[in-house]
Amino acid sequence: MNSEESGELPAEGTGAEPGGAHTSSEGRKAGTATPASGAFLGALVTTFTTVFLAELGDKTQLAALLLSAQSGQPLVVFIGASLALISSSLVGVLLGRWLARLLPAHELERLAGLLMVGLSLWLGRQAVVQLNTPPTGLPLG
Amino acid sequence: MDFSLLASTFITVFLAELGDKTQLAIVSISGTSSRPLAVFAGSSLALVLASLLGAAAGGSLSAVIPTNALQLAAAAGFLVLGVRLIRRAAAAEITADATREATQGASAGEAGKADSSQA
Repeated sequence: MNSEESGELPAEGTGAEPGGAHTSSEGRKAGTATPASGAFLGALVTTFTTVFLAELGDKTQLAALLLSAQSGQPLVVFIGASLALISSSLVGVLLGRWLARLLPAHELERLAGLLMVGLSLWLGRQAVVQLNTPPTGLPLG
Repeated sequence: MDFSLLASTFITVFLAELGDKTQLAIVSISGTSSRPLAVFAGSSLALVLASLLGAAAGGSLSAVIPTNALQLAAAAGFLVLGVRLIRRAAAAEITADATREATQGASAGEAGKADSSQA
């Protein structure tokens, strides 16, 4: 995500030891200096931060679902929900790779950029609306 | 292990997440990054952790964390990523056009040379 390397698809799991965090920020700034683990960690951190922040406020439905699992086993519900979330992100990643094979790189980058700007406007609007109207009792029971 | 409960949870959450804004973000990140495994690991981790946090806070996460402020931060992040991608796409298109014109010009020149040498 951070350098001009879209298009080629090298072995993605090469130098991906999770303990190599020391290269993360330096590798990102250096760009070409540490190709393998720096780019991997950069993409990992970018994705994690974006998805985590975007998902935090959105998970009230899931929380409700988990609460409704007071019927018995919240652990089972959590496992099921986690599996579903992992699968859905796998679907998203595969869809992205498929699109990358289908479209030229700059075309896809422009589409993705427009999509992200749209998402940011949507998210921002939602957050501002919710900030202005504090929730009066969640319908969670 | 209650497998019917597991299956119903899985199906409910999976269907709810399909086409969700998060998945759109994952599609666009993965499509423009050359590290699909990193994107997959990062997004899975974030999703599971976010749902765990939501569950731990018992549905009132906004009482514990300023979720709206965090969502605003996420929106700003998306905006930065999106604008950067659009600008990169524009730059790539310009260079692609330039190289195409250059190669076309070169091949036209060679063709002209070949013609003149034949004549």
